[in-house]
Amino acid sequence: MSYLEYQVRYVPSGLRKLLYLNWPLIILLTAVACAGFLMLYSVAGGSASQWMEPQAKRFAMGLGLMVLIAMFPIWFWRNMAGLAYIVSLVLLVAVEFLGETRMGAQRWIDLGFMRLQPSELMKIGMVMMLAAYYDWLPLKKVSHPFWVLVPVVFIMLPVMLVLAQPDLGTSILLVVGGAAVMFLAGVHWAYFATVIAAGVGAVVAVLESRGTTWQILKDYQYRRIDTFLDPSNDPLGAGYHITQAKIALGSGGWTGRGFMQGTQSRLNFLPEKHTDFIFTTLAEEFGFVGAFALLVLYGLIILFCVISALSNKDRFASLLTLGVAMTFFLYFAVNMSMVMGLAPVVGVPLPLVSYGGSAMLVLMIGFGLVQSAHVHKPR
Amino acid sequence: MSYDALRRPLRPLARIIRAREQGENPDDIARENLRLRHEKMQKKARDRAESRLLVLGLAFVIAFGTIGARMGILANTDPEEPRAVASGNPIIGQRSDIVDRNGRILATNFDTHSLYAHPDDLIDPANAARELARIFPELEAEKLYADFTGSRKFLWVRRQISPEQMQAVHDIGDPGLLFGPREMRLYPNGPIAAHILGGASYGNEGVSSAEVIGVAGVERHFDEVLRDPANEGRPLALSLDLTVQAALEEVLAGGMTLMNAKGAAAIIMDIDTGEVMAMASLPDFDPNNRPRVLTEGDQSDSPLFNRALQGVYELGSVFKIFTVAQAMDLGLVNPDTMIDTTGPLRVGGFPIRDFRNYGPELSVTDVIVKSSNIGTGRIAMMIGADRQRDFLDSLGLLEPTPIEMTEGRTGQPLLPGNWRELSTITISYGHGISVSPLHLAAAYSSLLNGTRVTPTLLRQQGPVEQGPRIVSAPVADRARDMLAQVVSRGTASFARIEGYTIGGKTGTADKPREAGGGYYDDKVIATFAGMFPAEEPEYVIVVTLDEPVETSGPEPRRTAGWTAVPVAAEMVRRTAPLLGLRPQVELGSLDGVTLTGSRD
Repeated sequence: MSYLEYQVRYVPSGLRKLLYLNWPLIILLTAVACAGFLMLYSVAGGSASQWMEPQAKRFAMGLGLMVLIAMFPIWFWRNMAGLAYIVSLVLLVAVEFLGETRMGAQRWIDLGFMRLQPSELMKIGMVMMLAAYYDWLPLKKVSHPFWVLVPVVFIMLPVMLVLAQPDLGTSILLVVGGAAVMFLAGVHWAYFATVIAAGVGAVVAVLESRGTTWQILKDYQYRRIDTFLDPSNDPLGAGYHITQAKIALGSGGWTGRGFMQGTQSRLNFLPEKHTDFIFTTLAEEFGFVGAFALLVLYGLIILFCVISALSNKDRFASLLTLGVAMTFFLYFAVNMSMVMGLAPVVGVPLPLVSYGGSAMLVLMIGFGLVQSAHVHKPR
Repeated sequence: MSYDALRRPLRPLARIIRAREQGENPDDIARENLRLRHEKMQKKARDRAESRLLVLGLAFVIAFGTIGARMGILANTDPEEPRAVASGNPIIGQRSDIVDRNGRILATNFDTHSLYAHPDDLIDPANAARELARIFPELEAEKLYADFTGSRKFLWVRRQISPEQMQAVHDIGDPGLLFGPREMRLYPNGPIAAHILGGASYGNEGVSSAEVIGVAGVERHFDEVLRDPANEGRPLALSLDLTVQAALEEVLAGGMTLMNAKGAAAIIMDIDTGEVMAMASLPDFDPNNRPRVLTEGDQSDSPLFNRALQGVYELGSVFKIFTVAQAMDLGLVNPDTMIDTTGPLRVGGFPIRDFRNYGPELSVTDVIVKSSNIGTGRIAMMIGADRQRDFLDSLGLLEPTPIEMTEGRTGQPLLPGNWRELSTITISYGHGISVSPLHLAAAYSSLLNGTRVTPTLLRQQGPVEQGPRIVSAPVADRARDMLAQVVSRGTASFARIEGYTIGGKTGTADKPREAGGGYYDDKVIATFAGMFPAEEPEYVIVVTLDEPVETSGPEPRRTAGWTAVPVAAEMVRRTAPLLGLRPQVELGSLDGVTLTGSRD
């Protein structure tokens, strides 16, 4: 059901909208961000200026942006969905040619005041596009092969570009995020079953082909898989991150060593200690209790998004809210799994905690859309 | 028939008519019906959406559960490894030692410490700065204090400190001053074999370790091998013999002083394997404290410059034996063939003269013994430019030597741009071609061996594979005989020493002016290239002096016979016993000697 089909009986207007924001969600987001500030203060060795202050400034900006986006009605954003997707796609193409290469991958565009990662922007752009698509598509046609192919193209276009950067982690996140929206929109489960079966088959084929004449991947890619399966094989190379992170978690124990007492991260054993691997510092200093508390906060954020989506009769709004929630979920689930050795090391930050501008900005835009859907829901 | 059944479907027309008859509005019924259908579809969609959400929710719960459980498991495991890491065990393997052919240490490692500071952890920055300035006089207390109180989180104080200094810093007792383990490259023999070893310095530096990297010589060339942890504990064995190297350097330094030369180089090489037993260049340096590269002026004036390898010079008459040997190998001459030596020999308007007039003709042997430019030039004319170039190429004189040092490639021979008749003749007696002393040593080894010998700095295990043929064995024998005669009755008569026989050829070449345009009258490169023992040569020796002047006589003498030859002779006298060669002593009468073993 869409706004075109029924009366919007009551939508708050002007500053009254502020009252109708999803305040519990804002409080939860702030709580997670504050946990991030504490950790950045700790890994900088008790320095606020190194990482914490820029991060806090960015979060404040992000909050402002979120409220601003929430002020615009959700149907405005639906009309913007195609534009958002195309702009993200153009930026992704641009980064191929103008991008700055950092740590072996071309991912960044320098905007002057910040470096933007178009692949992050695409996560929101794609969710908006898919939600608008299924809002427009009559329910009967959802499982028709042609109308399934269209969103698959929407997903695969940016995924190919991101893979070319190369950034395997983000491309997997894009695929899973997009597929989740399709699944929620009601595409017949047989499609998913087929794709999953094909995926499993491909993995088996890849592993089986190793050392034969038709070997599919390069040798170094197999070594990465080996390292993931058994990091102690290569403790000084690619397995270093994982091993050190596990040690940090182990040495944290149940209650942790206490704030600013972490050794692993303070003594520089861990590269990327303030970005992708910041969770290890948290786990070491606050132990299982602290790490689990963060997990619960993340869980509550997801829960509030799902509740908001369930109570929203508008198809675009609920699909968008769930899509953003899914993206957020993938961020922290993949990051935590990676740090704890449940998933291979791919460059995915811990949302709202890791130091970095692009992911924070994109997530706050996403939650701005969620807030807009919440404020302007049909009542 | 119930009412419901009546209402649905609306069509056919009969039913509408019946409904109208009953006083109902058929449009209302149609609208009502549409609404019901819509609601049913919506309900179906919502049900499906909810079931989908349920599946996804289940996935969320599983993911949360897995991550939470993993946290619990990890929190419950004992962390064992951090202790091992924190105890400062070096993770990086030690750089391999470098040893000579008998396993004597040429380069090894020494554990030392670096000193760094975490200014935030300093208790009393003022005191720490003052005390550090006292321990390290080269540091300034004010500057240290400014650094300690500034915004920096980390600061190197000293990259390398001695154990005494470390104890003194310990005694300051400030927890903000920290030590990191450090590995230092040590050359226990100081300047001996300095140019060959090269030196090492630090690459990437961290507080817990620093990378030691080779910067020159063998250290640089074999950097990867030496750093490879798989080779830890396995030293790199060079072909050098430390005792021979030391004796050679001592004699060379003395000779250089005695002959007032500004530089000198010497090489002793195994004639069969091409192993360099000793190689030196003066002036030299201490690799423990490697001097900086010159930023201006001529690099060849730097002590870092390796004359034996990088210095390419016109070496003069030492080349004559190549010309004669090739002519004999081609069957153009034999040692007794008489060669016309009437001078001057004019080629393209350029007169070629001899040092002194040797009469109308000389035998080929005497061309070498007396060192006749004209005679050698005439023989070269029989050979021709192409064959000469091919022969010198087969001796390895036209390319940089394949020696295992980074500097090896820079020893690029200088050749004439246009190898015509005049070049052929001047090259036949060693002018118009510039090669390094190492080139010469390798070429003499090849010639006297009859097969190509490749110079190497690595100790060879077992017999070396034979190279391509250079000259036939009889020709090599005749060349050897000629070189022996140069010493016994020719220009190198100072090389006659007691106990050992030497054969060799002298070469005195005027130095070209740096500005171009001709040669100096009073600056020469004096070279002796030879072999010992002369009857059955085992080693080749090359000695080169840069601008020598021998001043014991009434007028200064610069020729190799007076300068390079005595130095080479002394070198053989000193090193031959070290190389295991038995002196041939003619036993005199044993009067006055009592043999303790024999009794009546």
